Amino acid sequence: MSEKLKVGVLDITGCNGCVLSVAFNEDEVLDIFNLVDVQAYRFVSDQATEEMPEFDVVLMEGMVASPRDLELLKKVRERTKVLVALGCCAHSGNIPAYRKWADPKDLAYLHHDKTDDIADVDPTPQDFHVKVDATIPGCPPNRREILEVVKSLVIGKGYRPYTMPVCVECRRNNNQCLLESNKPCLGSITTGGCFAICVNAGLECWGCRGQTADANLDAFMKMLEGKGFKRDFIIERMRTFVGLKIPALETTAG
Amino acid sequence: MTTTSLTLEEMTKVEGHAILTLKITDGKVEDVHLRGIEGSRYFEGLLVHRAYNEASWISARICGICSCGHTIAAIKAMENALGVQASQQTEDLRVLLTLGERIRSHAAHLYFLALPDYLGAPNAVAIAADKPDAVKMAVAMMKVGNDMVRRIGGRDMIPESATVGGWLHFPSQEDLDSLRARLQELRPGAVATANLFNSLDLPQLKNTSENFSLHNEKEYPVHEGTLKSGNREFPQTDFGKVVEEYHERDQTANFVVREGHTYMVGSLPRMANNFNQLSPEAKSLGGKVMANLDNPFYNNPAQAVELLDAFDQSIAMLGRVKVRPEPMADIKFKKCWGIAAIEVPRGTLWHEYELDDSGHISRANIITPTAQNLRSMEEAIKLYLPQLMSKSRQEVVDGLETLIRCYDPCLSCAAHFLRVEGL
Repeated sequence: MSEKLKVGVLDITGCNGCVLSVAFNEDEVLDIFNLVDVQAYRFVSDQATEEMPEFDVVLMEGMVASPRDLELLKKVRERTKVLVALGCCAHSGNIPAYRKWADPKDLAYLHHDKTDDIADVDPTPQDFHVKVDATIPGCPPNRREILEVVKSLVIGKGYRPYTMPVCVECRRNNNQCLLESNKPCLGSITTGGCFAICVNAGLECWGCRGQTADANLDAFMKMLEGKGFKRDFIIERMRTFVGLKIPALETTAG
Repeated sequence: MTTTSLTLEEMTKVEGHAILTLKITDGKVEDVHLRGIEGSRYFEGLLVHRAYNEASWISARICGICSCGHTIAAIKAMENALGVQASQQTEDLRVLLTLGERIRSHAAHLYFLALPDYLGAPNAVAIAADKPDAVKMAVAMMKVGNDMVRRIGGRDMIPESATVGGWLHFPSQEDLDSLRARLQELRPGAVATANLFNSLDLPQLKNTSENFSLHNEKEYPVHEGTLKSGNREFPQTDFGKVVEEYHERDQTANFVVREGHTYMVGSLPRMANNFNQLSPEAKSLGGKVMANLDNPFYNNPAQAVELLDAFDQSIAMLGRVKVRPEPMADIKFKKCWGIAAIEVPRGTLWHEYELDDSGHISRANIITPTAQNLRSMEEAIKLYLPQLMSKSRQEVVDGLETLIRCYDPCLSCAAHFLRVEGL
């Protein structure tokens, strides 16, 4: 038996939901702790990051929203063979990154700290700053996908992320198409792998896993406009979770 | 004169990141300052201009641990604003969602975050080597709470099905029946947890904070009730009249009840204000907590008693609720304001909204339990430090971390935590 993988489950600014999703694999969580050598999981363990070890794999939750975040992210990158951006904040900056399109007047009543270590910087995803080796998207990420990634790394096989749109899984689940009931569902332009979990529960897809490589935004927008949705609303919805990861929208919107 | 400064950075086993700074001169505690160091996320500002029904799904992203709490608080504040009355069935499903979150959160906090402190173990994995059954039971209780949220809300965090005016996708009767059966099966684990935490020898400490929570004569509070703090009781809509927000130093928001008292929210205050409404067996195991209502360390045994009560409330409710598909409530837009307070695992959570006449948000205000507990925590640290003075640095650090952790703080719930005066 070769040596166990040294794994870290770490986070920068975020809600801790992703690191919690690791533990929400309740039937496997204790096995994970046996299968790999969890070197740092601040949420579970006392092992703090003062003397940061070298990692084989780090699952890294969160966005860069402060100089401290950036410092920690770079430090982890230097010490890690495989850096996995865990969740939507890590992948795209999530909802807080929508600040880019918000009216500063609407944010003015939340006057924030300007001390050095929590200076206010616009939230950005991890791959804007360091090389990321893999991404587990979604808000929250699919906990089973986290397990698959860890298992793949343990047995040394590549992990191939899901690339089909949400609609594929949604149809397989026999859901009624929410576009037909006039809901602004983004499933057809969004990467699946989430088992269409929102549509299963009656909520239209908001696109949190990012757009598919071949999403036809023009056609999609025309279709929703035909259903009576305003262009501004459609763009706002598309940008809610992954706005910084839709370069096509910059030209389409203009 | 000797001045000692101590900075505690990167606390583990709490949610989010915080720094504690202490200044001690000639054995006298001069300054205690606890603050979050997460980047700012501006959730409230980003809700402005969004439609009334988007707030629950967006604000649920504030916190992975209390995502059900934010969902329900947002929905109830919107319904209060719009004058919408949801059906009894909808209210019942919401309560079950919150109780599921209470069960999984308390089970996880008690065994994974708090217990290692009291057993002198580095973490729960180390406890598992010694007491595998206890940790397996903790994971099973966490799982049944998660399953309540999954089956009723659609997913284990950020539930999709709950919305303003109704429910998007109904759980099946089989789902509810199997949850009830599983809760009954695991209930002895909740009893054992209450006994375990009652048996711990906790530090002595007398804090001066008022115990602040919802109060409800009919049931142990979840979503409904007036507010009770010390001797005063007031309706939820009087929040701004009773609670004062102020800023100091690095402008972290602080909350006190007017006339300057600090207050504490969480399991201990809930029990202090609602002991008689606990389930009979939870009540019978609550005596030790009730004898220590001014000692914040007893927030942990209070969580354990509440865990059992949440099992009992859920089992009773699941035996009564029969889910039938229902239409959504009618919603008419008008310029309006609404506020709602609900009891989430870590205490009272407030959502407040102003809507314009097209149903869009013109102002949002979210006040989390940890933001409200900040002052109480600092005060407790100040009162506890003299007991630690003669100890080693490591013992001081461990002691303070244990105290902070017993509040079960959620430092990434930073919606209101890092607020600053930009003047």
